[in-house]
Amino acid sequence: MVNYGGDEVSALVVDIGSSTLRAGYAGDDTPKAVIPTSYGYHTTAVDEAMDVEGSDATQKTRPIKMYIGQNGPSLWREGMEVTNPLVDGLIQDFSAIPPLIEHALVDVMRCTPSEHPILVTEPTWNTPANRERMAEIMFEEFQVPAFYIANTGVLNAFAAGRGTAMVIDVGKNMCSVTPVVDGFVLRKGLAYSALPKLVHAHARHVLTGPPPMRGIDLLPHQLIANKMPADLNAPPRFSIREDRMAGTTESWRAWAESREVDEWIHSVAGVLEQGWNDQLAASRPPKPYEFPTGYNSYFGGERLSVGEQFFYHPQALVASNPNLPKHLPALISETLRSCDAELRQVLSSNVVVTGGGTLFTGFADRLATELTRSFPHAKIHAPGNPIERRYGGWLGGSILASLGTFHQLWISKEEWQEHGKAIVGQRCK
Amino acid sequence: MASAADVRSILSLPEPSAVAGPSQPKKQAAVSTRKPEGISRELYSLIGPSAPSLVTLSKPQLKQKPNLGGGSKVKWEYRAFKNSARQDSLELRHWVKASTPADEEYPFVKYNVSSNVFTYSQDEYTRFLEDKEWSKEETDYLFQVARDYDVRWFIVHDRYDFPGGTPRTVDDLKDRYYSVCRKLVRNRPWEGDETSKSQLILTYHFDKERELTRKKYILSLENRTPEQIAEEEALFIEVKRIEQNERRFRKERDELLRTIAGIESGLPDIVEDEGLMNLAIDTKKKKRGSMAMDIDSPSTPIVPAPTPIVKRPQTAKNAAFDAANCIIRTDPPATIPVTKAAHQPAHLRSYKLPVPKAAVAPKITAALAELGISHSRLVMPTRDNIMQLEALLEATTSLVDTKRVVDKIGYDIRILKSRLGMRESQGAEGHPDAMDVDEGEVGDDGRAQSVTSARSARNRKQVRTASKLEYRY
Repeated sequence: MVNYGGDEVSALVVDIGSSTLRAGYAGDDTPKAVIPTSYGYHTTAVDEAMDVEGSDATQKTRPIKMYIGQNGPSLWREGMEVTNPLVDGLIQDFSAIPPLIEHALVDVMRCTPSEHPILVTEPTWNTPANRERMAEIMFEEFQVPAFYIANTGVLNAFAAGRGTAMVIDVGKNMCSVTPVVDGFVLRKGLAYSALPKLVHAHARHVLTGPPPMRGIDLLPHQLIANKMPADLNAPPRFSIREDRMAGTTESWRAWAESREVDEWIHSVAGVLEQGWNDQLAASRPPKPYEFPTGYNSYFGGERLSVGEQFFYHPQALVASNPNLPKHLPALISETLRSCDAELRQVLSSNVVVTGGGTLFTGFADRLATELTRSFPHAKIHAPGNPIERRYGGWLGGSILASLGTFHQLWISKEEWQEHGKAIVGQRCK
Repeated sequence: MASAADVRSILSLPEPSAVAGPSQPKKQAAVSTRKPEGISRELYSLIGPSAPSLVTLSKPQLKQKPNLGGGSKVKWEYRAFKNSARQDSLELRHWVKASTPADEEYPFVKYNVSSNVFTYSQDEYTRFLEDKEWSKEETDYLFQVARDYDVRWFIVHDRYDFPGGTPRTVDDLKDRYYSVCRKLVRNRPWEGDETSKSQLILTYHFDKERELTRKKYILSLENRTPEQIAEEEALFIEVKRIEQNERRFRKERDELLRTIAGIESGLPDIVEDEGLMNLAIDTKKKKRGSMAMDIDSPSTPIVPAPTPIVKRPQTAKNAAFDAANCIIRTDPPATIPVTKAAHQPAHLRSYKLPVPKAAVAPKITAALAELGISHSRLVMPTRDNIMQLEALLEATTSLVDTKRVVDKIGYDIRILKSRLGMRESQGAEGHPDAMDVDEGEVGDDGRAQSVTSARSARNRKQVRTASKLEYRY
């Protein structure tokens, strides 16, 4: 037992990301519960809901009804709004967090949170107020015996088996480059931007933009009554569920359409491994894709231009948009520039690629090309297993919380009651 | 990780084999005649149970199978434990074997080590540690951060944020920290001896200037453009190529010299050649030696067994056959142990020309040269000729030996005579003169010896070239 350093105390690990919330037992290799972070809700009156929201977390007494989990936002309900409590990777709306966690732990995992120590993850740019709030929720609402909050950058490095690494994490909304040294994040070296959002916006523009773009209707299947097979590139023949159109909210529509875009990105979009080249892009085989409306087509160069947004922004785009998120090579060089000269070599030879966004077709190869161009000795660790890539942060937390040496770091309930919020900053360095 | 067996034992489930489901086939009724231990299955199936066993069958003594605890049940308990590395009374629960004692120390506590960072008093600070660049508050802060992050400098530097302080580099922080440590060690009363104290000071040694230059080098190494790197690599490859070319040229030249100006023409061997050849032979020897070691050492127990076969009995028939076919058998030397290395393969007789002993070789050569005989080149090295040459060499050797003894005795006689002369003249002359004479004699002799040794060295060389020539044949 002592040989491998593990000692399982049936701790739980909760990793909250922009797209999904992952929860599971420490020591497992995959999270038991993966639920979307977006949730649907009904409000009787907006102002009334705002009053009560923060005060009481239990669903029964809430005037608004929340729809959480796999059957939450993805089911069409009349008048259901959809929202996401996270903004730029940080929790903005804490009122929704307890129900989400409760759903994952109690409804999906069927366990009692008050019996288990809980490790929660946070992004590197998390604010002290946020992590203290999280500790408060855990101790006051879930009555956990012990709590710890760990950094996703560090956890991703641990999941890759490294104490020192440069972690490139591409999520749904945020893309970050974090230098980790000896299990600590170098906060001054952190670089992050909302790059995936830009990629998403570009993809949406490619699909729905007016000519020369496609101008495709991104209606989700929930709103389509029936459709006829359509020829290639022909206008689709389908009928809309008129009964639902009136009751569909703007936020649900936006959520559903962005999901259609994501689906398209996942199955069709890619990036050229060796940098952009018109001829090479033209020589790549186009890929077919059919939308819920029945419109189907082959996508050639445009599908490859989407991934290009991760690595290169044309001058015109930069000039027209001053708030453009930095692309990945810029983030990497920013991180390395702010690190000590001695560390650069170590970091560039320990690059850990993680996050669901990195599963983008051709991403790892292109990243390797970009990196070796400026750092010939760069070595990239990108797990081939997509589960490991998507849940890297959770996996690292699972490893950490099942180590025998870790159990002295838990913030216990007793300590929380004695020291208050200050203990979080002291313990979770 | 708990194995399936562990889970079974936790849940007190019976072993899977014990509850065979209905789907599993019924076990055949056990065969009444058991195969006795220590007899192989194939043999048993051949001789059957009825065959009486002549040999006493004993079970072979094999290593005992390790007991992995699979057979017996292990009881597990879900137990609360306390971690003594914690200050509070948090009790976590984990599964342990019931056999572990309840009051056992948590096994991971021993990994809770903290680095010892120096502390200093106000008095010490004012006496030794004043620095115009650093205030006491900032120094305190630095030591606190160093303690918090276990003196991991990159992290200390990252988290270092002294309100109102000037921005500091890692090297500034290290410099201050280590200088304070050094001063503290130096000025505090020290219990141990001086060497351990200076050693401790040495561990806190930090040269900021050197560190800065080192980092500058790293930066310049990093800032090379790809062209520069490519050029550097090209140059490196070029140098390697030139070196290789040169080596090849030299080898070829040596070969050429050896072929053209070789021993055939009677020219002396080339010095570089010798060196090279020695080197080559050396490496060959080494290689062969190591190979022999590798191959022979495992098989040494086998080798001695077949050697007696080599000594065939000399029957009359064999002798007749040998005489008819002019076969002469040489007995291997008895003193040398019979190994692979001592084995004499088929060889040309010219390889086995007798060579005079190295110690007396020059004298023998000189003696033979006096007689006008060249012993080093045998035109027809037949058996008889070689035997004659051997006899000749032996005779010459004994002659030379005799001469040496004669010389020695003659020399002794001369010395004794001179001593006698000295004794006789001692009455008339003084002591120092005798010393003079003595010295002069010794000096003469020494010169003579050096002359002969020079000559002999030359002779030896000649002999060597001659013998080399023989090897060529």
